[in-house]
Amino acid sequence: MSLTPNEAAAALRDIETVGRRSGQAFGYRYSGPYFVTWGLVWVAGYTGTDLLPHYAGTIWIASLIGGLIATTLLGARQPKGSRKNGIQAFGVVAIAFLFIMATYAVMWPVSPAQQAAFVPLLAAAAYSGVGLWAGARWIVAGVGIAVLTLAGFFLLQQHFSLYMAVVGGGGLILAGLWMRSA
Amino acid sequence: MTDQPDAIIHQPIRLKIMAALKALPDGEQLEFVKLKDIAGATEGNLGAHITTLESAGYASVAKDFVGKRPRTRVGLTRQGRRAFEDYVTYLKDILNTGASS
Repeated sequence: MSLTPNEAAAALRDIETVGRRSGQAFGYRYSGPYFVTWGLVWVAGYTGTDLLPHYAGTIWIASLIGGLIATTLLGARQPKGSRKNGIQAFGVVAIAFLFIMATYAVMWPVSPAQQAAFVPLLAAAAYSGVGLWAGARWIVAGVGIAVLTLAGFFLLQQHFSLYMAVVGGGGLILAGLWMRSA
Repeated sequence: MTDQPDAIIHQPIRLKIMAALKALPDGEQLEFVKLKDIAGATEGNLGAHITTLESAGYASVAKDFVGKRPRTRVGLTRQGRRAFEDYVTYLKDILNTGASS
């Protein structure tokens, strides 16, 4: 039983196709809980901003700290979990936070609605970019968040925070559950 | 280069099972239901092939319950990972030999 080059090539193609599919499915399941976590952060932050606009800064800082802690714990709890995963997850969020703060500082003054729209658009771009390697569900989530954010920003500025809580936060949670089911 | 492919892996469904499991990080497992979907096998067929891989020491099977729902997860053993890598090398050698001859 020996193979011809054509049979060997076909077998290698099968291996690549199946391997990519399996790796993508694993990536989706691994990422789902992070989407849900940050969906909850958005729901808390945007709802708080809408209900108590004077305390928006404090509410967001509390929400972000909660998200950061949850992300670190999730990183450490993943099946291949290790202290290193948790630290990396913490690092990614911390870098994003510092980048966003630096951007606000450079662009200041920005309106509350502009602030509220910037982070989701940044996240949408990141998800879409990751999706080019990690699979279509990331792109669907990224494009969905971008479209909904832009729609709310231009059409519903008066209740933009509440809109983002429901649509942005809710969308992230649904995207996370969808990924988790892969 | 060995003359013969590994007979355990050299079967279309088992090859897909091994490829799906090899794509996971070391030590990770895939749920039976997901594996069935990826390998395009029926439940009975997949079960039989997994048993073959497990008997050869290439796959490990873990059974537990999530709530009341039984769950079966399958992973590659270290031996299975090595055997699959050898199998892929065997295939690539055939291509390289074919290209150079």
